[in-house]
Amino acid sequence: MIRTALRVVRPPPEPGALPSPASSAAPVAAAMAASLSAAARSVLAFDRVGFAYDGRRVMRDVSFRVAPGEIVALLGPSGCGKTTILNMIAGFLAPTEGVALLDGRAIAGPGPDRGVVFQAAALFDWMSVAENIAFSLRCAGRPKRERRRVAEEMAALVGLAGREDAYPYALSGGMRQRVGLARVLAARPRVMLMDEPFSALDVQTREALQEEVLRIRDRTGCTVVFVTHSIDEAVFLGDRIFLLEDIREGRFETFDVDLPAPRAAPENRLAPGFLRLRETIYRRMRHTG
Amino acid sequence: MSANAAAARRRYWILAVLSPLTLLALWALVTAQGLATPMILPSPLAVLASLGDMVGHGYSGVDLATHVLASLRRVGIAFCGGALLGTVLGLLRGRVAEIDALFLVPSELVRPIPPLGLIPLFILWFGIGEASKILLIFLSVFLIAMVNAQAGARACSLDALRAARSMGASRVQAFRFVVLPSALPQIMTGLRVAMGTALTILVAAELLGGDRGLGFLILDASSFFRTTYVFAGIVLVGLIGLASDRAIALLGRRIVHWEGKR
Repeated sequence: MIRTALRVVRPPPEPGALPSPASSAAPVAAAMAASLSAAARSVLAFDRVGFAYDGRRVMRDVSFRVAPGEIVALLGPSGCGKTTILNMIAGFLAPTEGVALLDGRAIAGPGPDRGVVFQAAALFDWMSVAENIAFSLRCAGRPKRERRRVAEEMAALVGLAGREDAYPYALSGGMRQRVGLARVLAARPRVMLMDEPFSALDVQTREALQEEVLRIRDRTGCTVVFVTHSIDEAVFLGDRIFLLEDIREGRFETFDVDLPAPRAAPENRLAPGFLRLRETIYRRMRHTG
Repeated sequence: MSANAAAARRRYWILAVLSPLTLLALWALVTAQGLATPMILPSPLAVLASLGDMVGHGYSGVDLATHVLASLRRVGIAFCGGALLGTVLGLLRGRVAEIDALFLVPSELVRPIPPLGLIPLFILWFGIGEASKILLIFLSVFLIAMVNAQAGARACSLDALRAARSMGASRVQAFRFVVLPSALPQIMTGLRVAMGTALTILVAAELLGGDRGLGFLILDASSFFRTTYVFAGIVLVGLIGLASDRAIALLGRRIVHWEGKR
């Protein structure tokens, strides 16, 4: 298993300077120490997880930990296995080797502590926005009044106040994803799983929603695992990025993102740290760096 | 509604009303020109007169309303029972492989048999009373409803199911809140088809003896060459079919209000 930790060194070097791979030597030891302390307080942990489908191995020996309140971006081209990892955390797939842990307990099937925001929203067209948002409460047998209150609260949180009685088909793509976000948040999950949720949206809407995710994390402290094939999205959103290189052999590379707070500030998209890390990852993906 | 949509809607209704009126006019023209003998094709007015006669004096000693109600009762009971059972079983077959396996061969063996071919058997098994007639209609409604509900249940998107499960829905809740609503568009279409079939089977089912019902009326009138009465009976069955189809379609649009809006 090859696993390197690249850190964007703070404070950033002179503009224009390329990050040198040599600078990662010292941080490797630091990262190991950090990962040990993270083990104690991690929300999510994969321990040598492997997965075979119809006897065909699609993943092996994948290990990582995710700290509470952290946003981890799983980055890679389509078919690289990032959604497989997400589906295992969600409990839609079970590892065929190793264990996937949530709060130290093996994940067994889907549950409301791990909400999923899907690429195509997957809203229930037959339910109003409020009913969609409060679905987890309905399943838990909560009374109608409470469901309405939570739905209004969550609608306001994602910028949908006043649209509670609309039906999903009357909403734009961006608003549909806001509902998808709100219905996951209504269940107060430990981890929010996002499967390329903004990839079908226009640039402006996508960026607004990326900023929304960061603000929601700051407000709720929710841990997020975000699948994307966009380097920009991974760098802007992630605290850490897992670049999945060859998941069949357990190879992925970890990048720490170091951008100024508040992370949701649009200027971060032009910050030197953002541009530099983007270039580093791009070169790594194209094998030119 | 925009002005364009209103105009399109008006055009729709003008065509929908004009088309049967044209057919009626054509029918009147053909008979008025003497292109067909009244025994084969009576004029619309003669049919209307027979209808009026039946409204006033009944047919073969029985009120027209009694004939109509007898038929409606048979179709109604058979349709509701068949639709309910067929839909429930179809949904289960669509989602539970073991249930599907259990019913696959029996239902596919029965489905291609024309219901009319079962009439002799049904007479042997259930006699010539109400039971035979209702069961014959029930069977065809049941099979159509089942096939459609099953296809509808399979059409439910994996993401929607996964979303429900990851929001804490039990299997039963996922079925109730996701699989069933996903299948509703196809279920409603199936029910429209089933209602049409139920009315065709009705006429045949009333071959099984008895002295009331629209099917009986049509068959009885035809055996006495009272063509205008045959036509009047056919028109009544047709009107019932039209009304029930529109009712189910309207109900479907109300229930499945989200269909085709995205």
